[in-house]
Amino acid sequence: MSAHMKELTKGLFKENPTFIIMLGMCPTLGVSTQVSNALGMGLSVIFVLTFSNMAISALRKIIPDTIRIPSYIVIIASFVTIVEMVLHAYVPSVYSALGVYLPLIVVNCIILGRAEAFANKNTVLDSALDGIGMGVGFTMSLTLISLIREVLGSGTITLFAVGGFDGVIEIPLLNESPIGVLTLASGALLVMGYLKAFFQWKSSRGKK
Amino acid sequence: MKEIMKTGIILFLICAVSAGLCGIVNSVTAPVIAENLIREREAALAVAAGEYTVGDEVAIDTPNANVAYTILDGDEVAGYVFELNANGYGGAMTIIASYYPDGELISAQLTTNSETPGLGKNAENSWYMDMFRGLGGENPLPVTSSDLSADDAAAVSGATVTFTGVSTALRNGSELAKSLGGGV
Repeated sequence: MSAHMKELTKGLFKENPTFIIMLGMCPTLGVSTQVSNALGMGLSVIFVLTFSNMAISALRKIIPDTIRIPSYIVIIASFVTIVEMVLHAYVPSVYSALGVYLPLIVVNCIILGRAEAFANKNTVLDSALDGIGMGVGFTMSLTLISLIREVLGSGTITLFAVGGFDGVIEIPLLNESPIGVLTLASGALLVMGYLKAFFQWKSSRGKK
Repeated sequence: MKEIMKTGIILFLICAVSAGLCGIVNSVTAPVIAENLIREREAALAVAAGEYTVGDEVAIDTPNANVAYTILDGDEVAGYVFELNANGYGGAMTIIASYYPDGELISAQLTTNSETPGLGKNAENSWYMDMFRGLGGENPLPVTSSDLSADDAAAVSGATVTFTGVSTALRNGSELAKSLGGGV
């Protein structure tokens, strides 16, 4: 059981896809302008990653080595298309916010990377756990980056509208004079750089 | 040869199953998506019409607008409401805007957009569209931010592309209202 647990938890910190393996940088930098986008993107990635890992793992003995990449892309693209249609129908606000990054999950390095590095060598259960762990790790990193960017960059925290709550928390002071650069692409790279440095420092300190 | 056939058949089967799954999900979600779009558009049109009621669809032939409806004050045509196309910093945007037949803007609302939060996304707020309200008839709509008052110009600085996109679309809408208004 402990071996299974390790597959689940390694994606959270030890092999965090964003800060340690540095996979899937394009959507990470692109959608992290609002917390709600990060959560929507994260949940979509968890779903696609878990199911594509399971499907690829189940088919790993059937798919010949020569056509494994096209097969993986077809499987991943199908799950992404399903997520896209379901979001468009039932959560249109998240669908429009994610925009082009949603179809780009197809070529997200995390998903193809886990399929190639993990799912085609391991059992369905381990692959599912790996998918969930990596997906949650990705969501946590994305949420952390977007929280920093949104709070400092526009002085708000955008969540989902529920009932009377319109989904936007305004932070006094920062809302009036935000650090605008953080909402731009250069701000994404700056925040990413500092967080990467922090994680590097944390992990190197642990070794000594 | 046998190897190629086997590989081909496996790839074909994977594709066929995937396509089948997508088809099934699409048959469930497609009607919901179509319904959402119609409801969203109707709600936005009703908001743009304000105190007037939305009338009949008007046939238009221009890339600047997707749909046009008359707005009615009782049975009289009071003006027009359009879904306008605009180009912003984050790509295509749509604006729902209503006009009097002389081209004066009654109200406008930015709907679909991918603008930057804190900068271009400010155009979603009602104060942004207040800069344009009442213009387009006797007084022209602004072309660049230098046509605005100092306060308004400061508010749009940093998002010039969004401002130009919005003002261009609103001016196109004003022209369209004038051309339709002349025929009534």
